[in-house]
Amino acid sequence: MGFLTILKKLRQKEKEMRILMLGLDNAGKTTILKRFNGEPIDTISPTLGFNIKTLEHRGYKLNIWDVGGQKSLRSYWKNYFESTDGVAWVVDSADARRLWDCARELHSLLREERLAGATLLVLANKSDLPGALTLQEIREALDLDSIKTHHWRIVRCSAVTGENLLEGMDWMLDDIASRIFTLD
Amino acid sequence: MSLVGKKCESISMLETNKDDVIVSEITPEDVLRLDRITDTYMCSPEANVYDIDFTRFKIRDLESGTVLFEIAKPPTDFGVDSEGTEDAPEEPLDPNAGRFVRYQFTPQFLKLKTVGATVEFTVGARPVNHFRMIEKHFFRDTLLKTFDFEFGFCIPFSRNTCEHIYEFPTLPPDLVDEMIAAPFETCSDSFYFVDNRLVMHNKADYAYNGGINN
Repeated sequence: MGFLTILKKLRQKEKEMRILMLGLDNAGKTTILKRFNGEPIDTISPTLGFNIKTLEHRGYKLNIWDVGGQKSLRSYWKNYFESTDGVAWVVDSADARRLWDCARELHSLLREERLAGATLLVLANKSDLPGALTLQEIREALDLDSIKTHHWRIVRCSAVTGENLLEGMDWMLDDIASRIFTLD
Repeated sequence: MSLVGKKCESISMLETNKDDVIVSEITPEDVLRLDRITDTYMCSPEANVYDIDFTRFKIRDLESGTVLFEIAKPPTDFGVDSEGTEDAPEEPLDPNAGRFVRYQFTPQFLKLKTVGATVEFTVGARPVNHFRMIEKHFFRDTLLKTFDFEFGFCIPFSRNTCEHIYEFPTLPPDLVDEMIAAPFETCSDSFYFVDNRLVMHNKADYAYNGGINN
């Protein structure tokens, strides 16, 4: 039994996953997190630090970290990379003006060694807003098809209507589970 | 139906003299091994050199979506040190004020299935590394639950929240009856470590007879 196998077995016992939610400020990370956990989303202020939720979902113990996306906070993101199994990258689909900034931050994230094994879920949030870009437009703007280093998927979603949040999250959990919990 | 009775003011439960403060290094392993509530605070209030300040506690019932308990510091207090001497209190402040909270719940609280417990805290000018919370809940000498969670890194001057959503431990019915009949004999110790050094120790006690004897 190799080292990797032992590691996988250790993790399997706990069925624990660490999910990191990142993205530019005002993308809707906290709103998505609250919506996902059945909390009211009417009064949400900018995150000037982190919001953590630990919960059980489909037999997994999830630790979800939502870290503030303001420019002054982004240099601290690296402090949260360790042991991350999945990255949920949240995009404001209606903010065309900052898509380039968004693409740049995403690709610099993907170069991080400590995120090398992580699954990437791109959540195209606020897709219910008038003027929201299409999934294809965001996919191209973020140059997702160039990503060969990570398992990734993009879904259109809305924290307000709840559309696709669970579906997106479940895809990420399945992908992580297939990597770290089942092998032999 | 109200599940929560009332929250009493923070009171000083223990007479902690400066001399009593334990100076030796308390490790996470030490507190994990504890099999009953501690008699004293295991660090002085001054050990909190990172200015970690708990600003909100909230408990909600996931089944009904209702907030069962919420207490927050008034926003005006956030990170503001009172300056000047005009409103300085005449009596010295109780050094343990704010380290102890008394909760009073109704018996229905012990029947909850899934609850979410949120803490919100701010940190000061220094970055905080390896921030870890170990919390132990006892009824008399019976350990009910241990939380052990690593927040990890906290950004200077940040405001952070953490919600643990968990299944309420299934307690034997006779234990539940005893807990209801013995207010404030359910207690908890919360230990906070930064880089494996104890920086805060808070205590709480709990009654579940709200609405019965009052």
